[in-house]
Formats: sequence, structure tokens, C-alpha cells
Amino acid sequence: MTFIPQVFWEDFFKGGRLACARLITAVENEPEALPEILDRIIPGQKGGLRIGVTGPPGVGKSTVTAALARRAVRAGHSVGILAVDPTSPFSGGAFLGDRVRMQDLSDDHQVFIRSMASRDGHGGLSPATPYAADILDAFGLDRIFIETVGVGQAELDVLDCSDLVVLVLQPGTGDVIQALKAGIIEAADIFLVNKSDLQGTETLLDSLRFLMDISPVRKGRPFPPVVEASALLDKGMDAASAEVERLIQDCVGSGRYREKRRSRLEREIRSAIQRELWDGYSALAGAGESIRAVAEALIEKGGSPYPYIHEACSRIRIQLVDERDSRGK
Amino acid sequence: MADRKIKVIIAKPGLDGHDRGAKVVARALVEAGMEVVYLGLQQTPESIVRAAVEEDADVIGLSILSGAHMTNFRRVRELMLSSGLGDRLLTGGGIIPTKDQEKLQEMGVGKVFGPGDDLQEIVEYIRANARRVPG
Amino acid sequence: MGNRTKTAWAEKYEAGGVRDADFTSISGRPLEPLYTWEDLAGSDPETRLGWPGEYPYTRGVHPSMYRGKLWTMRQFAGMGTPDQTNERYRFLLEKGQTGLSVAFDNPTLYGRDSDHALAAGEVGKTGVAVDTLADMERLFAGIPLDRVSTSMTINAPAAWIFAMFLANAEKRGIGFDKLRGTLQNDILKEYIAQKEWIFPPEPHLRLITDLMAFCAEKVPQWNTISISGYHIREAGSTAAQELAFTLADGFCYVEHALAAGLDIEDFAPRLSFFFNSHLDFFEEIAKMRAARRIWARAMRDKYKAKNPRSWLCRFHVQTAGCSLTAQQPEINIVRTALEALAGVLGGCQSLHTNSMDEALALPSEKAVEIALRTQQIIAFESGAANVIDPLGGSYYIEKLTNDLEEEAERYFRKIDELGGVVKAIEQGFFQREITRAAYEYEMALSRRKKFHVGVNEFANLGQKLEIPLLEIDESTERDQVAALLRTKAERDNGAVRESLAALKTAAAAGRNLMPPLLECARRYATLGEISDALTAVFGSYREQPFF
Ligand SMILES: Nc1nc2c(ncn2[C@@H]2O[C@H](COP(=O)(O)OP(=O)(O)OP(=O)(O)O)[C@@H](O)[C@H]2O)c(=O)[nH]1
Ligand SMILES: [Mg+2]
Repeated sequence: MTFIPQVFWEDFFKGGRLACARLITAVENEPEALPEILDRIIPGQKGGLRIGVTGPPGVGKSTVTAALARRAVRAGHSVGILAVDPTSPFSGGAFLGDRVRMQDLSDDHQVFIRSMASRDGHGGLSPATPYAADILDAFGLDRIFIETVGVGQAELDVLDCSDLVVLVLQPGTGDVIQALKAGIIEAADIFLVNKSDLQGTETLLDSLRFLMDISPVRKGRPFPPVVEASALLDKGMDAASAEVERLIQDCVGSGRYREKRRSRLEREIRSAIQRELWDGYSALAGAGESIRAVAEALIEKGGSPYPYIHEACSRIRIQLVDERDSRGK
Repeated sequence: MADRKIKVIIAKPGLDGHDRGAKVVARALVEAGMEVVYLGLQQTPESIVRAAVEEDADVIGLSILSGAHMTNFRRVRELMLSSGLGDRLLTGGGIIPTKDQEKLQEMGVGKVFGPGDDLQEIVEYIRANARRVPG
Repeated sequence: MGNRTKTAWAEKYEAGGVRDADFTSISGRPLEPLYTWEDLAGSDPETRLGWPGEYPYTRGVHPSMYRGKLWTMRQFAGMGTPDQTNERYRFLLEKGQTGLSVAFDNPTLYGRDSDHALAAGEVGKTGVAVDTLADMERLFAGIPLDRVSTSMTINAPAAWIFAMFLANAEKRGIGFDKLRGTLQNDILKEYIAQKEWIFPPEPHLRLITDLMAFCAEKVPQWNTISISGYHIREAGSTAAQELAFTLADGFCYVEHALAAGLDIEDFAPRLSFFFNSHLDFFEEIAKMRAARRIWARAMRDKYKAKNPRSWLCRFHVQTAGCSLTAQQPEINIVRTALEALAGVLGGCQSLHTNSMDEALALPSEKAVEIALRTQQIIAFESGAANVIDPLGGSYYIEKLTNDLEEEAERYFRKIDELGGVVKAIEQGFFQREITRAAYEYEMALSRRKKFHVGVNEFANLGQKLEIPLLEIDESTERDQVAALLRTKAERDNGAVRESLAALKTAAAAGRNLMPPLLECARRYATLGEISDALTAVFGSYREQPFF
């Protein structure tokens, strides 16, 4: 999709759903199209809020997302949903089943749902998910839900790309809390105890309370609120949704939203430069073959990799100087 | 594109709960490296095509054992054309008499498979015919 | 035989050379090359087999079996409008069929009217459409309901379809006590396999218990439920899964009825079963024998039924639709014949043989006649009906029967661990087991470890289809919708509203729903109106796809 024709952009900015879908496909499949796409959409962004929904497999993330999305629509918002499911490490294929739980949204034209396979992403999202969120934002959607892969371990990618993180838990996942890296507990903005229609809800709430007691205060912020709900029976979801909305207002009001956007852009700039440099100069560094041979040799004979690293870097520096000089002429 | 994954929508339109075929095929496509969006039962042509648009799917596969294949394929195909998905493959399977298969092909539907057809053949067919015009 | 053992023989067997083939059963069960008395060591024939018509009924539910009465030849049929189906019934009765079996179309199976948006294109396609009592009247016009038994394959809306059936009998002056037949009415296997439900499991289970209570009092000859493994198998399960899941469903119904305060001796004799007969001849026969033994033991020992009639696992068999191929459809006749013979040797009480064209369309009259004739050949020519349980005592059959029983017991324990059938459904246990088995079988076909003659072996390339197929005219849907609108215009709409309101009240109050359903039916309320009224109280249920 490189060199995207103007009519395509017109279609996209007029609300063409297929155009929007095709842009997401492009960021999934064609990294070389990324600069062109970001050039167009970042200025077009309208400040949609990104709500990450994460938690262990099967806790009801999709059901919760659908219930929150329904309420956002009712409150007059337009809603985007990115639902990520895992790519099979064996076949490279993926079974994308989240949409099934979002059936009752699928007639609503205020909602745009996109399933994504995690592909090379290891943090519960696919590498293209943040860009897909940018696209939905530019498309004019103002609440963007990002459902991660069901994660046993805390996955921090979702923190980077969301303004707010909902951590979904269910009775019987008390142990999971222990296993979750401290990070997610730190970073979750709200704990949603789903499936409260099942036994064991109290036990889970108790262990959350315990955690609250022993946790050091998070960098100047109080322990996240805990809400109890049953997304399947649609119980307690009004309160959960209200809490999410309150946190959103808080996030915007306190300047955290701005902060988040800034650090997202910062990260984007940094990683794009790294990518550019690597793409441009990795051959000089001996990408592939030489690096492999060096590693082989190190295993064989022992020694430090640094002499090679220094040598490769100076090759690149010399090249950069040459390029500057030739431009100077 | 080296890493272009084929994206397939699998759905069962109408009131027909026999989802053995849909599930087996969905699984075979995943194992063949495709990305499968499973919509499940009781879908309308509208909900199917809408999902195909949002997913930018390369292929729509319908499983119909209810005898309603003519109605459903025709309607899905019409909606695909009016939504800009005319270049995508519409295929499927079920209990579909040869005579109807021919009529479906005239409407622009691809090959439809029946009981006893080999999974590998279905996978290969989709791989070979998943259409997408470069943007 | 002296003291030679199997091991000694096995050496010779190995030395003789063995074909490079897959020797597992169609369910993937590993099989020995030979079974002997050693395989039955510790298995006491007196307690494991008993006598025909005696506990544990391994050898059959009647002392005289087919010498006393042949199985009922019951061809499942229904298509198009009630008038068209009525004509097919008269044809079948004339050809010597001994019971009727109604196939409803998909909208009816889901409790939807023919003019519902999701029904488009499906009306009358895979069965007959019934929207109101008026359709029921046409469906059975001129058929002596007090003399033929009628089986109805209907589940989610079974109670209100039955209410229409009863209202029709009432109008014709036939007493409820004269009515004989079966409702499938098995909702659990819908969640497990066929996916045709309306409400969540609990309200459906309550409707089933209501129906059992009502029939025990008013329609005593009616089989209130036909606990079905057929669809579980069609969805791709193994033989052992079919056996175990079906019986587990049966236990679940028994437990619900007991919890509702019903007396086991009142309802248990009216429970019946429905199994698939697939291609693996011996495994199928063993499955049916094991079913009788397991059920009898559970009913007697676990549920403490005293009356031997409450211990009987009586069942209908249908040959496996999923074994039929669209390629070379004529050879489906042979598959069906083998499967039907297995059903008979397994001791079924009634049998449906599929028609050769069912992988292509609804059966044509010609194809149905051949299917029926297949049963008649087994009954009257083959000699299979002369001797009771002729395979009893075969080392292989008895060993398979024991093994299947053990496998089923293992599944029962697993289901208990998950918290019972309903909980296991909610967790997707059955659905996952079945989907996995279905996938493995397809892969075995694809890798040519298993065969389908005419498809992945001995295929006739480029062969054109030469059998005539039945077509349901597009006008069927129009006619049916027109009839529905006519009925709605002619009936007393105030009376309908009243009966629906009374139904809702009874549903909310937890009263037996059969009397108010009967009243709705009498007033020509439609199937969909009744479904909607009940959904307002019970809620609806969404699919949970498990892979
Ligand atoms: N009892 C109960 N079940 C629920 C509730 N919410 C969701 N479920 C069920 O839990 C199962 C998983 O729900 P999903 O929403 O798909 O969960 P998920 O976390 O998105 O799952 P993955 O994306 O596969 O990790 C489904 O069977 C839901 O119906 C609830 O509140 N109560
Ligand atoms: Mg999910």
C-alpha cells in the first residue's frame, strides 16, 4: 500500500470503514508504509482515549470489553475495539475468537471491531496494535479498547500503548495475582473482579485487600479501585463503566493523559530511529552471517564480543562520515 | 509480502447449529498458518459482511447445511459487492447439490465443498485463491 | 485348547507379516489382532451378561427380543409445508412403515416463526415448518394418531410443539391416554453438540421436568424424552464419548426430576435413548450393549429404582448421516445396510436408515424406499432377527463392551469433578472433547490413515452424479408465511394475548407450564410468540464456541 492515493485518504477521513480496515492491514503487513501512514494520521488524531483490557486467559476480557463498549456507545461515544489473540508459535496461524463475545455490538455503526493476531509481539499485543490504535483515533473514534492476549504473566506492552489499564480477574485466579509481576499491579488503574456470580469471589477480594495493605503506595497514586461485576449477566457493569469514565476524566484532568501521549511519541521516535539505523547500516555491522560466525567463534574459543562490537560500530561511523562528506561536495 | 497472512472469516448464517464442519475447517486453516476470525452461529449476511469489512478479510467462508445456501450466498455476495469487497473470495461448504453449486459459481461464489471433501484440498484452494488487489 | 496362551500364538502372528495399515477402530481405539478367553478373565458372564430381559440387560431389554416383536421401522421425514409432509407420511405408511417420525425445519427447531428474519431461505428446507396449531392439523390430517406411534425430533420448543400436538388430538376427539410416541426433548445434547437452544440450560431443564410430570399423569404412553447420542456422534465424537455423554445427560435429567419431587418409578420407564450407528460394526454393537448395562446398574443401585421397567435403556437407532458421502452416492446404501445391521445386533427398539442421497439433499421418495427396504431385508431375509443377541459371547464383542463401559465410567468421574453436566457444558468440556475428536478423524482421512471409499480411495474422477434429487421449491417459504399470516388474521388476537400473559405469569411463578402452553396452542398462538413470551421471563442464551 505504499504511496497511498489521495482518494483513499479522502475516503478514510470521510469515515470509510473499509479504508480504515485496509490501513490497519497495511500497518500489520507493510512496515515500509508506516512513515507515510503516520504522517497522515498523527496530525489527524482527535484525542481518543485508549483503554487497555488485560488479564489471564478466559477471565472474560472480551465479555467485559463488550459490556464497557456498549455503555460508552450509550453515553454518546464512538468506539473502537482492538482484540488481540495469540499467534500459534507452531503454525504461524491464529484463531481470532473475541468477536463472538461482541455479537451484540456488531449492528452498531458507532463501533468498529478489529481482531488482530499477536504475530511477533510478545507482550500481549501485536507490533502493529499501537499503530492500529493511532488509526482508529484518526478515524474519529473517541474510546478505543485494546484487549490483550490472555496473559498469565503481566504484559507491559499494553501499559505503553493505553491511557488506562483495566486488569480483569476472576474467582480462582488468586494464585495468578502472586504470579503477576509487580509491574502490572503497579500499573493497572482498576481491578475488575469479573464472574462474581461464581464461588470464590470473596476469597479473591480478600487477597486483593491484602495486597492493598502490603503494597507500598504507588508513585504518588492511591491503590487502584476494585470493582466486582459479572459481565456475562451484565451485573455491576454500570458501576465498572462509571469508574472507568471517572478515571478517564481524572487522567485527562491531571495531565497524565498528556504525559502518556508524550511518552508514546518519544518511544515511537526512539524506536523508529533505531529501526532506520539498523535497516540502513546493519549490513555493515555484519547482520546475519558475520554476527553468526563471530558468535560461533566465541563459543568455540571463548572471549568477549566487545572487540567485534567496537569494530562494527567504527565501520558504521566511518560510513556516516563518508556520507556527510559526499553530501558536502 | 513475505509475511502476508491470509485472513479468513468463518461463519454460519441463519438457524443451523451444525458447526462440526465450520470448526474443523477453521482449525485446519489456523494450522496452515492463516488467521481465522470465527463468527460462529446465527449470523446474518449483514453481520458477516460487516465483520469482513472491519477485518479486511481476504476470504469469507460460509458453512450451510440448512438448505438456505442460495439465499445466503446470494445476499452475502451482493453485500460484498456493495461494500467494496468484490475482489475477495467467497467460498464455503455444506450439503449443496451440484446444480446449485453451478448457479453459485455464476453469481461469483468460488468453489463450495461438501461432505467427504479433503481438508487439505480446502486449505490449498483457499491458499491459491485468496484474492487481494494491492492497494 | 489346553494351556496355550495368546503370547505363544502372537509370535507366529508377528512372524507371518502384517499389512501396513491402521488397525484402530473408527474412534481411534487400538485393537488387538485377536481376542480370546484370556481377554475376558475375571469377567463373570452371569453378572455381566445375564439373560435377555433380565438385569443387567446386556443381551437385550426383552426376554423374546425380535422373536416377540421386530423393531419399529421408523423413517424420519419432513419437508416443505405440512401438506407436503402429510403426503410423504401417507406414502411411508402405505409402504409398510410402522411408525411416524417428524423432522422439523430449522426455524421450528429454534422456536422461530417462518417469517422471522433469520429464517430466510430455511423454511421447509430440512424438515417441515410448523408455526401454529393450524399447521399441526394439516400435518396429521387423516392419520390415525391413536393407532400409529409418532416420534417428534424437537428439543428447545418441545413443550409447545407437544402442546400443539395435544391440542390437535383434543380437537379430533382422541384421548391423551391413547397417544403413543416420543419427543426428543433432549436439550443437554443441544448445548453439547447441535446448538439449537432458546434459553439458558436451567429453564429448559425445568420445562422438561414439567413435561415429564404432566405426561406421567395425562399422557401415560408417551416417551417424554429421547436422550440422544446421535447428534453428539454426528458432531464428531468417538463411540465412547457418545456413550458416556449420552448416559451422563440421562443421569442429569433423572437428578433434575428427582429434585423437582417426581417419583422415579413414574418417569423413569418413559425415558428412552437414541444412538448413532456408525461404520465400525463391532464397536457400535458393543456400545449399545454397554449402554444397557451401565444404565440398568445406575438406575437400580445409584438412583434406587425398584421397578425393573425403570432400569431399561430402550433406544432408537439411526445410521450415521456423517458417514455418507456426496461422491458415488449409491454406495451409501451399502454403508447404511452395515450400520443398520449393527443397530439390530445391538438390540435397538426402533431404527431409521438414512437414504443414499442425504449428503446431497433431502431424500427423494425413491431413496427413502430403498432405505426402508434395507431394514426389511435385514428383518425378513438375513436371519439376523432369528436369534437373540447373536454376538453375545464373542470374545471381541464382550471385551469391547467391557472396555467401552470402563471408558464411560472414566468420563463420568471427570464430569463429576467438573461439577456435573451443566457445569461441564458451561466450561466447554464436551464441546472441546468432540471438536478434538472430529479434527483428528478428518486429519486421519486427509493423511489416508482412514478411508472413505469413493472419496480418498477408489475415487471415480470426473464422475457425474446420476441420481435425481428432491428440491424444495422457493414457493414453499412464501406459502408457509402466507398461511401463518392467514392464521394470525383469523384467530381471536385478544384471546392469544391473554393466554400468552397467563403463560408468562406461570413461568415467573414456577408453576407447571404444560397447562398454560396447551391453552396458548388451542388459541393458535404461534411458536415464535410463545418462545418470545418465555424468553421475556427466562432470558436467552448465547453461543459459547469452544475449540
Ligand atoms: N460465569 C461467568 N462467566 C463469564 C463471565 N464473563 C465471561 N464469562 C465466560 O467466560 C468465558 C471466557 O470469556 P471471554 O470474554 O472470552 O474471556 P477472555 O478473557 O476474553 O478470553 P481470552 O481472550 O481467550 O483470553 C466465556 O465462556 C464467557 O461466557 C461472568 O461474568 N460470569
Ligand atoms: Mg478474549
